[in-house]
Amino acid sequence: MSPTDFFAQLELTPLLAQRMYYDQVNLWLWFRWVLYLFGGFFGVFPLIVAYMVLAERKLAARFQDRIGPNRVGPFGLLQPFADFIKLIIKECILPIGANSFVHLLAPMLTLISAFLVLAVIPFGIGLAPVDLPSGLLYMVSVSSISAMSIFLAGWSSRNKFSLLGAMRGVAQLVSYEIPQVMSILPVILWAGSLSLVSIVQTQQYDQGWFLFSPPGMLGCMILLITSIAEVNRAPFDLPEAESEIIAGFHTEYSGMRFGLFFLGEYLNVFAVCCLITTLFLGGGSLPFQGYFAGEAQHMLAAPFDASTQSVLKLNANHEFPANPGTGFRIKVTNIQGVSQTFQVANRVGNDLVLMANRPLPFQAGVNSQVTASARQDYTGPWHFSNLIMIPVFMAKVFFLVFVMFWIRATLPRVRVDRLMSFAWKTMVPLAIANIFLSAIWFEIVVRPAGGFQERIIGWVVTGPLTVLTVWFVFRLNRNSYKSNDPDRRPTLISRTGESLLATSNQGR
Amino acid sequence: MIQALFIALSGFGLLMALGTVFARNLVHAGLYLVAFFFVVACQFVLLEAEFMAAIQVLIYIGAVAVLLMFGIMLTRNIQGDDTTIVTKQWRLLGLGAFGSVLVVLILGINSHEPWTQLAVRPEFPVDATTKTERGRAILSMTPTVGREMMTRYVVPFELAGLLLTAALVGAVVLAQYDNADEAEALAESAKPSATQS
Amino acid sequence: MTQQIPLTWFLYFAAASFAIGLMGVLMRRNAIGVLMAIEIMLNAANVNFIAFWRYGTPSASEGPLTGVMMALFVVTIAAAEVAVGVGLILLCYRRWRSADVEEFDGLSG
Repeated sequence: MSPTDFFAQLELTPLLAQRMYYDQVNLWLWFRWVLYLFGGFFGVFPLIVAYMVLAERKLAARFQDRIGPNRVGPFGLLQPFADFIKLIIKECILPIGANSFVHLLAPMLTLISAFLVLAVIPFGIGLAPVDLPSGLLYMVSVSSISAMSIFLAGWSSRNKFSLLGAMRGVAQLVSYEIPQVMSILPVILWAGSLSLVSIVQTQQYDQGWFLFSPPGMLGCMILLITSIAEVNRAPFDLPEAESEIIAGFHTEYSGMRFGLFFLGEYLNVFAVCCLITTLFLGGGSLPFQGYFAGEAQHMLAAPFDASTQSVLKLNANHEFPANPGTGFRIKVTNIQGVSQTFQVANRVGNDLVLMANRPLPFQAGVNSQVTASARQDYTGPWHFSNLIMIPVFMAKVFFLVFVMFWIRATLPRVRVDRLMSFAWKTMVPLAIANIFLSAIWFEIVVRPAGGFQERIIGWVVTGPLTVLTVWFVFRLNRNSYKSNDPDRRPTLISRTGESLLATSNQGR
Repeated sequence: MIQALFIALSGFGLLMALGTVFARNLVHAGLYLVAFFFVVACQFVLLEAEFMAAIQVLIYIGAVAVLLMFGIMLTRNIQGDDTTIVTKQWRLLGLGAFGSVLVVLILGINSHEPWTQLAVRPEFPVDATTKTERGRAILSMTPTVGREMMTRYVVPFELAGLLLTAALVGAVVLAQYDNADEAEALAESAKPSATQS
Repeated sequence: MTQQIPLTWFLYFAAASFAIGLMGVLMRRNAIGVLMAIEIMLNAANVNFIAFWRYGTPSASEGPLTGVMMALFVVTIAAAEVAVGVGLILLCYRRWRSADVEEFDGLSG
């Protein structure tokens, strides 16, 4: 195997299979890791965050008919650096009675969880820092650490308002995490994998963006709403509601410690936008790329068991490109209609050597008919396809970031009891119903590897069902959205010991 | 190298467990507990069960620890610093139980021949052409867990679902105020302290 | 690389943390502290399950993931137990105005 083939093969190989290459390419891998760490995590991402803050201030100013920061540098472009210098030279004040270690630990945990989430996002071909086989699970689990950090920040400050903000924040994070994870389940069902790289590749080469289906749209909406709640942004920024509890859990933070919280919050915004892009908007792929890819039917010449074999023997006369590149993928459908996509590493005559991927539980019995269809995609070096994919990916991410800024500038903050009832009474049932809807879509479109016609049928079947589900859930919750029903207010006790519930009852 | 790492990790984990038990401040105990959970997740990685490590972080650190912290807050230990004062007979009993259980377990482990001789775990080929079912299960644990859940362990799986539903409903019922009267009663009980201050 | 750790080391770790958890259950006065100690014991059991799964060779009828599945069910049950446990402690706290297990001495509500 020539070195270029070898590295090309390595680029698309998941981490676990990469282990066997460690002895051979230790230096190269280490170099890449150092590049990721210093270039990405210390350079690019903080820079993106800095300019996101500037963009938010500019945009919010436009929404409110102001101009926004325009003093430092041309159009205020140097403002982030001025802010940074201000934050770093300010004194870090530690309240008396605060727990100093935990007080420092909390903002660091926020930042760590945001960075760890970014570690599995595939920004382009071969540009996922780590491709874990269960990457989505990993991501959900590391993002749940941020609840801990908010709690610790509130507790360690020894301040009532911090603690109130932390309690609100943790309750909100724990509640919204459930519909968030549930809205991801359709993607796992359709892609058949938890690896974010395979999810993007499924959308890019097989099924098109997951957004373009009724359950996918509903799932994407739920994921967007719950993500806004997960990163504590308006209209769900109850943990830092300044009119009620000063600044919530970071009341007692100043200087660079506050700066870390700030960085962590915006990094989380960026991370969830990357996540939505990866899961529903097809990563760096162009829209409808998967639908119009070429296809050629072939028969297998010999039975095939993916768990033990890596060579696919085809009948003669196939029209695959003479020299398949790394973008070349082959889809095998066995007699039960179960299909699996493989990457091709090499080709020897009529034999396709499949990529040393993780073993798949896919097999076809002896003498059973197996159809292979291959789609030829971009076959050049992956570096050049990244020149298209990374800008496309970033454009999608920044569109989502813009949507978040837009929502923040438009909607008022929700009340605390309605925040929780919105999570439990609206988001969770919608997410559960969406799993069923996506199973219908799976049976109609994904499992038979459907084309245009099956997609139309899928839309006709699941579209009205989705609309009906949304209407039904909101209809059932109609009463809980009414604001002035005293029975639905939270139980409040005033300082003098009188129940506010009683007085409001008398008032009625 | 890896053995030194294991010893350091385990020592840290045991220290954290001791901290959980002996910390006077309950929130500190919770933090030590989180560190212990994290060490256990690292042990799972050392045992090549990355899936279990992710589950450990997700459920224990993300849910259980947060829930315990919530419990601390709601039982009025707002700053968490309070009762670890243990009466003498309980302390003696606890230390005695610790020592005897530890001695019995370690003696038991050491006296069982098949365990002490298992110094090296069975290899599996890290390759697509891996033959054994075990090797496949380790390399692609998530799909294997899913398939096992739906085939061999389907009854325990359904029972676990039932248990979780029951726990959800039970927790709501337990923690709920029964009616407005109880809220009023709580307001009543808050009165004297308010007048004192 | 990780093959070099003998099985007994994992067992020692699990045994020690189990004993520590037991000590915590007996010595802690705060009910939440008792719950935390119970979690330590459950985690020790999980380490044992995974270690025996990884080092053992299962018989053909067992399936490839016996220990992992057991550990998963333990995790599930632990989560349910904590949810109900915290609910019970809140109820006891409302009844006795204390989270101290020494004071939970009445049998009737």
